[in-house]
Amino acid sequence: MSVLSAKRKRAIALLSLTSIILITLDLQGSASTSVLRGTFGAYFRPIEGVARVVTRPISNAWYGITHYNDVTEENNLLREKIAQQEGAAVAAAASVRLSQELLALNGLPTLAGINSVSAQVIGDSPSNFSQTVEINQGSDSGIKVGMPVMNAAGLVGKITKTFTRRSIVMLITDPEYALSVKVINNPKESPNVIDDPEVAATSTSSTSTTTTVPTTQATSNIPGFTPGATTIPLNTINVTVSIPSLAPTLTVPVSGALPVRETGMLEGRGPTRVPIVRFIDSAQRFGTILPGAPIVTSGGSLSLAPPDIVVGTVTKVSDRLGTAGPILEINLVADLTNLSFVRILLYQPITERVTP
Amino acid sequence: MSLRFLRFITSRWTRLVLVSSVLLAMQTTLLNDMRPFGVMAHVMVLFAASAGVVYGSEIGALAGLIIGLMYDSVLTTPLGLASLVLGATAYIAGVFPYLVRDSSWWSKIIAVAMASAIGEILFPVAQAMVGYSGWVQWRVLTVALVVGVVNLVFAPVMLLLTKWTLKETLVG
Repeated sequence: MSVLSAKRKRAIALLSLTSIILITLDLQGSASTSVLRGTFGAYFRPIEGVARVVTRPISNAWYGITHYNDVTEENNLLREKIAQQEGAAVAAAASVRLSQELLALNGLPTLAGINSVSAQVIGDSPSNFSQTVEINQGSDSGIKVGMPVMNAAGLVGKITKTFTRRSIVMLITDPEYALSVKVINNPKESPNVIDDPEVAATSTSSTSTTTTVPTTQATSNIPGFTPGATTIPLNTINVTVSIPSLAPTLTVPVSGALPVRETGMLEGRGPTRVPIVRFIDSAQRFGTILPGAPIVTSGGSLSLAPPDIVVGTVTKVSDRLGTAGPILEINLVADLTNLSFVRILLYQPITERVTP
Repeated sequence: MSLRFLRFITSRWTRLVLVSSVLLAMQTTLLNDMRPFGVMAHVMVLFAASAGVVYGSEIGALAGLIIGLMYDSVLTTPLGLASLVLGATAYIAGVFPYLVRDSSWWSKIIAVAMASAIGEILFPVAQAMVGYSGWVQWRVLTVALVVGVVNLVFAPVMLLLTKWTLKETLVG
């Protein structure tokens, strides 16, 4: 009996040591742990597949019992939302197209120029302490670790592990998730509109840039932005505006009335708490952040996501003393509880790209 | 040679791996979809705790380490972490029978539930020890409570299954 016990103790020590070595190797990013996981996956996937088929009726029955009322309510809510957004979508699409054209004209990167891969979500994380989903596309499709993942609404997360035909996506709500973002703060003041183009033209001094005003007229709800009109902030007014005979409206916002952008760090906080944005500068330039201000990715040479992917809107602003800056609570635009299909942007920052 | 192979096939550890595979498949499919109060029931913790309660700390710890290693392979946390956690859970579960004079069937069930709740708390603590500190929140207590209650319900069945799986020999 004591011989058996000694043997078992040795086995326990050996297995514990193996676990510790594996943790160390995995934390160092060793490929051997990926090989181990891949090998186990090859053995386990068929068993899991059979279990999925066998247990699906039970899962469906569970959903039917526990979520029926929620689904009915959600359907009604979605119908109402669709009706509201149909009109807004047309105006938004026009604005996005215009914005992309302007960015392209100035040689700036746009999301439209980045290749992407669509994938289906095939599973959640089987743990209470990680916020990940599994998708059915992997390194065979060009997916690499760090690439941003979106759905139709906005940013969902990033790739954290890739296999040949599947990948793991860490969701924004995971406490390990962090990303540089921009807060676009809309000012309250309405812009000064000068109807007489000659007055506007004479208010300029030196000749440095020529702006041709487009002839199309459109409307927009975005403060400080009037499609079809030339919008010039006062501190950059030193331009000569060459206006054709159409005499369009020239909108000159008051100083600081244009949307101001400030960067911060988005952090996940688990499934039950909303993500937050820290490190927002509390400088005067930024003004008061109002709930509803949109949050988009900031991009940059070190950021894993390109600029201007929609993340969410500010729901709560918690001011802090001193120069710490406020903490913003974020309402994500993407519904992470009901992910079915996602899009992976095949984007890598300049610093990560390997030149052939 | 064939005798050794036969002995390997019928050994308790081979049975453990096979039963764990089926339970792991249940964990990643059915239990992953059914989340009462937003918490996933944890059959792998239940299995490890049952092994400790039925066969004591040593065999329990060994079983827990093996079950955990398999569970690790489908998680995104560092490989080996769940192995250590489930090994510790089973070892703790194995200590419970020594705390009561005459362990009855219901005291074993309560021991399994309590060990499961402790195991669930150990997960975020272990994650924090390797740098994933964000999961140490008050929510852990809710998770531990729900997992403990669910495992209390399923413990009788699991105790029987564990007894059969880790039986030294199926013959005689």
